[in-house]
Amino acid sequence: MTVKTEGIIKIDKELCTGCRRCTGVCPVDAIEGEKGQPQTINVERCVLCGQCVQICSAYASAFDEDIAPREQKMEERNMLPSVKEPLFASYYTGHAPTVKKVLVNNSLFTMVQCAPAVRVAIAEEFGMPLGSLTPGKMAAALKKLGFNRVYDTNFTADLTIMEEGNELIKRVTEGGVLPMFTSCCPAWVKFIEQDYPELIPHLSSCKSPQQMAGALFKTYGAQVDGVDAAKVYSVSVMPCVCKKFECERPEMKDSGYRDVDVAITTRELAQLIKDAGIDFNGLPEEEFDKPLGTYTGAGTIFGATGGVMEAALRTAYELITKQEIPDVNLKLVRGVEGVRTADVKVGDLTLKVAVVAGLKNVIPVLEAIKAGKADFHFIEVMTCPVGCVSGGGQPKVLIPDEQANAYTNRTCNTYVHDENMEYRKSHNNPEIKKIYEKFLVEDNIHHLLHTKYTPRR
Amino acid sequence: MNTKLNSFVVADPRKCIGCKACELACAVVHADSDGKTVGTVETPIMPRLFLVKTAEVTMPIQCRHCEDAPCANACPVDAISQVDNKILINTEACVGCKTCMMACPFGAMDLVPKYKDGQVVTQNGLMSETEDGLVEKEVMLAHKCDLCVDQPNGPACIRVCPEKALELIVPKQVKRKRNVEAATNFLDSVKNFFD
Repeated sequence: MTVKTEGIIKIDKELCTGCRRCTGVCPVDAIEGEKGQPQTINVERCVLCGQCVQICSAYASAFDEDIAPREQKMEERNMLPSVKEPLFASYYTGHAPTVKKVLVNNSLFTMVQCAPAVRVAIAEEFGMPLGSLTPGKMAAALKKLGFNRVYDTNFTADLTIMEEGNELIKRVTEGGVLPMFTSCCPAWVKFIEQDYPELIPHLSSCKSPQQMAGALFKTYGAQVDGVDAAKVYSVSVMPCVCKKFECERPEMKDSGYRDVDVAITTRELAQLIKDAGIDFNGLPEEEFDKPLGTYTGAGTIFGATGGVMEAALRTAYELITKQEIPDVNLKLVRGVEGVRTADVKVGDLTLKVAVVAGLKNVIPVLEAIKAGKADFHFIEVMTCPVGCVSGGGQPKVLIPDEQANAYTNRTCNTYVHDENMEYRKSHNNPEIKKIYEKFLVEDNIHHLLHTKYTPRR
Repeated sequence: MNTKLNSFVVADPRKCIGCKACELACAVVHADSDGKTVGTVETPIMPRLFLVKTAEVTMPIQCRHCEDAPCANACPVDAISQVDNKILINTEACVGCKTCMMACPFGAMDLVPKYKDGQVVTQNGLMSETEDGLVEKEVMLAHKCDLCVDQPNGPACIRVCPEKALELIVPKQVKRKRNVEAATNFLDSVKNFFD
């Protein structure tokens, strides 16, 4: 199966010096080439995590007359002509010009969603300190850009918890395939499909929050606003390059249309904001729109490694025991280690869970599962080093020693945001309660919120 | 009289992988923006060390802070001088004549446009004919390694090199080390030497 976004990550032959630092961060050994020579990406292997884009320092010199002009390179990369930042050898083809065009098309009704990790990073592109938390400015900027509805992936992160939590309880109590794997990271999903297809039944059937949002925008969202679903144009802003691939998966059209029309990265949103001449730092804060922009602290911690697990446990605990969780801060699943395991008491049940950050770290875990030597119930896997805050679509840090700082601050402020939210458990989100009362029924739940996976070998 | 020799940074070509991290860091720490991410960079990357990559050798080249600096001796407007054991350019005085560039045996001197607040600075009178008609010509300035004179942690290139290929050479220390090595070696062969 070939999707057109395969090969969206490329290495510019004119700029690549063959230092091969990218091969050190590529989790699937997809970068091929001789030392000192330009590298190429094996698109079958590549999981589009974008970590090569983050590490690459082989920039295009404005004074080098032997390379193609900057304008030509920007066009090949599909960047807005107003972008001034330097270009690097490893890059992804963008979609900001597409979004710019859509925003001036009055026949469309535009809806946008923003992933949890975007709000702790986008301000960096406007010179604010690393990890600055700016959900209100981001919502304001999206409104100024002209989106008709500014919704939030955090809402569907909460919805994912409801669906995935119930799926886990069902698998545990009714003897389903265990351990269950999270399915929100599209690079991880692609990796399972291509390298461990025999383990596909372990993946949760839940779509990622991006795709749940997409499916709801053109159904429930269109109903709420009384607009024709065919006129809804659905945009996502993601810390991730692979989300571009995920939204173009052929099956992701359960609303009857392409559920997410286009995904842009955190960096691309910053470029659009600058292109429109918006003073991001000076914007007064605004709210996300209701109903699909209302979220809890549990939704926002999806951006950090361990966050999906923590959010799921907060809800699973209360759904299973019917009692309030003693401490909502489940620090035992937080951290930066590549693999963290914990036993969590949920009533009479002891849930054995594992959290994996960095795709390479999952291989021993998968081998143990195949050998029957791992008795976990639930495993969260994120491809990027410390989860989505360190995603390939996030702002690229200029000085390597400051990258760790960026990751720490983005993670820290993700939890600060959680602590300051009115609701911190997905099942307490009033709009989640409402959507289950007003719109979601057994039939469309399965159709809109769940999916199937494709072995790729 | 100060007889201390000027230090300089040099890369070990056996270690250098040609990643240009040094060039990027050099440009970033000398820029007037304090942004930490690529999106905050609005001016061209203008490093003060230059990666050489040929079939034979890969390494950056930068200023040696020569004791008898040819650039300074050739400068017609006295814009280059030695300050605290560093050869530094006074960009206010520079007229962009390129004499220093021609005089430097390493090619360590560059000439780059002057930027202020993200905008290129243009000259008062000199115009340049372009496709868009006559435009004010940009101010061009001599540009080279200043050993990160304003950086609290020393030269950025050394700090960021993933292969630890760059080193700050303190000439007298190297000389002293060589003397000791020579003496030690000599001890081994002293018998043959004096019978």
